[in-house]
Amino acid sequence: MKIRSTTFNRVLLGVVLAVALVVPLLIRTNQYNLVLVTTVLLYGVLATAWNIIGGMAGQLDLAAFAYLGLGAFTSGTLLIRWNVSPWIGMILGGLVATGFAVLVGFPLFRFKVREVWYALTSSALVEVLKVAFVMWEDVGGPVERYLPYYSFSLYHMRFGTYIPYYYIMLAILVIALVVNYRIGRSKLGFYLRALGEDEDAAEILGVDARACKLKALMIYAFLVGATGAVYACMYGFIHPNFFSGARSTEVAILGIVGGMGITYGPLLAAVILVSAREFLRASLGGQMESLYLVIYSVVLILIALFRPQGIAVMFRDAYRKLLSWITGDEHVLEANTPGI
Amino acid sequence: MNMSSKPILQVSNLTKRFGNLVAVNNVSLQIDGGEIVGLIGPNGAGKTTFFNTITGLYTPDEGRVFFKGEDITGAPPHKICKLGMSRTFQVTKAFTEMTVEETVRVGAYNRHGEDDVAEKVDEVIAFCGLEEIRHQKCGDLGLAPLRRVELARAMATEPDLLLLDEAGAGLTAAELAELMEILRRLNREQGVTLCVVEHVMQMVMGLCERIFVLDAGELIAEGTPEEISNNPRVIEAYLGERAIR
Repeated sequence: MKIRSTTFNRVLLGVVLAVALVVPLLIRTNQYNLVLVTTVLLYGVLATAWNIIGGMAGQLDLAAFAYLGLGAFTSGTLLIRWNVSPWIGMILGGLVATGFAVLVGFPLFRFKVREVWYALTSSALVEVLKVAFVMWEDVGGPVERYLPYYSFSLYHMRFGTYIPYYYIMLAILVIALVVNYRIGRSKLGFYLRALGEDEDAAEILGVDARACKLKALMIYAFLVGATGAVYACMYGFIHPNFFSGARSTEVAILGIVGGMGITYGPLLAAVILVSAREFLRASLGGQMESLYLVIYSVVLILIALFRPQGIAVMFRDAYRKLLSWITGDEHVLEANTPGI
Repeated sequence: MNMSSKPILQVSNLTKRFGNLVAVNNVSLQIDGGEIVGLIGPNGAGKTTFFNTITGLYTPDEGRVFFKGEDITGAPPHKICKLGMSRTFQVTKAFTEMTVEETVRVGAYNRHGEDDVAEKVDEVIAFCGLEEIRHQKCGDLGLAPLRRVELARAMATEPDLLLLDEAGAGLTAAELAELMEILRRLNREQGVTLCVVEHVMQMVMGLCERIFVLDAGELIAEGTPEEISNNPRVIEAYLGERAIR
C-alpha cells in the first residue's frame, strides 16, 4: 500500500509538534537554553504575525516592537498598579495595540502612504513610542519597573523557571499559525495578496484596499500586543527599551527571508536564523565581540542573493522531492499541491 | 438594435488636467447597454487617462460620470467595481506571485462567497480557455496568456460594463482572432457592454458598432466604423499612422 502524501504531511506535523512539546523537558536544567528556545518561539510568533501585514499585504511594516511594547506596558502596568492578572492583561494589551494600530493605520492608508514611506513611518513609530515612554514617568520612565515576584503563581504569570513561558509562547505560536493559515485561504487572504502585488489592479476587481490593509494591521497588532504581555512577565520588568527599532527590523527580515506569504516560512526562518545567531553569539562572543553579527549578516545576504523567494520555498521543493520519492506520486511536484 | 438601449455610462464635460497639460478636455459621451464601442486616437490622445478618470483611479477636475444612472464621479475603484464596471490595463498589472486560478478567484469574490466562488472560477477559466495554465504562476506567463488572464479576472467580477485598455496590443493575428471571439461571446451570451481602447484597427473595425475618436484630449468624432474611416478630421489626426497601415 502506498503512503498518501496528505497522511505524510500530518505525520510530519505531528512529529514537529511532539518535538516542540518535549524540548523544554530535555533541557529543563539549563535556564539559558530555555530562554534561548523561548526567544526562538517569540520571534517565530512575531514573524508569523508579521506575515499577515508584510508577507500577504506586502506592507513593509517595521514596527513589531511598537505593538509588542504597548502590550507589555499595558499588561505590566495593570499588574504592578492594580494587580490585574496578565492573562487578562494579554487581551487588554492586544486591544491597546490594536487601537493604536487603527489610530496609525487609518490616516496612513487613507492618504495612501505606501511602500518605502510606509516602512519609514512605521519605523519612526517605534522610536517615537520609546521616547514617549521614557518621558511618561507614570508608567514608563528611564528606569526598569519590576513586576511583582512570585516563585510560582499562575494568576500573576510569574514562575521560578522559564519552562511555562515556553509552553505559553508555543500556544500563542500555534494560534498565530492557525490564524495565518485560515486567512491565507479566505477572501481576506486573496484580497491581501492581490493588493500586495498591485493595489490599482486589485481595487478595480472590487478590493477595498484601505479596509483590507487596516484589518491585516489590526490582526497583526493584536497578536503581537498579546505576546507583549508574556514578554514582560518572562523578563520580569518593563522598560522603554522594549520599543526597539533594530529588533522590529529583524522581525521583518525573518518574514522576508522565510518566504513572503507562506504560512510556515517566517517560523522556519526564526527557528534557523535566531538559533544560529544565538549560537554564534554564545560561541564567538567571548573572543571577538560582534563577529557573530558579521557572519549572521553574510548568511542573510547569501539567502537574499541566491534564494530570494525565501527559505520556505527551498524547504518545500526539497520536501516535495522527498515526498514524491517516498510515495511514488509525481503529483506532489506540481506547483499547487494543496496542503503544503 | 440591441436588447437594451438604455444608457449604461454617461460622461458629461469630463476634464482632467496634469499641471498645464489638459489630458482630457471637456469630453461628453454616452454608451448604451449591450453595445460594443471603440475608443481610438493617436498616441497621447488621452484614452488611458479617460479610462483612469472613469474608473476612479484619477479624480476628474471637471465634469460628471454617471453609471447606470448613479453619479460615480470620484468614487473609489472598488465601489465602481461593485456597481458593475471593471477594466483591464494597457501595461498588464499581473499578480505575479499568484497562479492563474488564484488571480481569477480575486475577481470572483466580488459577487460570490466562499461557498460558490470556486464554481465561478471554473466557469470563467473555461470561458477564457485557461484550463491548461490554471496552476501556473502569472509571473511565468507570456504576454498573450497574461492579457487573457487580465480579461478573465475582470470578467469574474461579473461586470455590466467592461473597459479594455489595448487588450490586443502585441498579439499575433491568431491570438487576436481568439481574443475577439471571446469578447464577442461575452457580449452576446452574457450581455456585457464593452468599451475597447485600441490601436489595432483590425480589432476595432471588426468588433465595434460605434467608435469615438479622441485627439489631444478632445472628442473629435463619433460614428460607425465606415463613418469614422471617412471622416476628414479623423484622417487628419491619423495622417501619419494611416499612411503606414
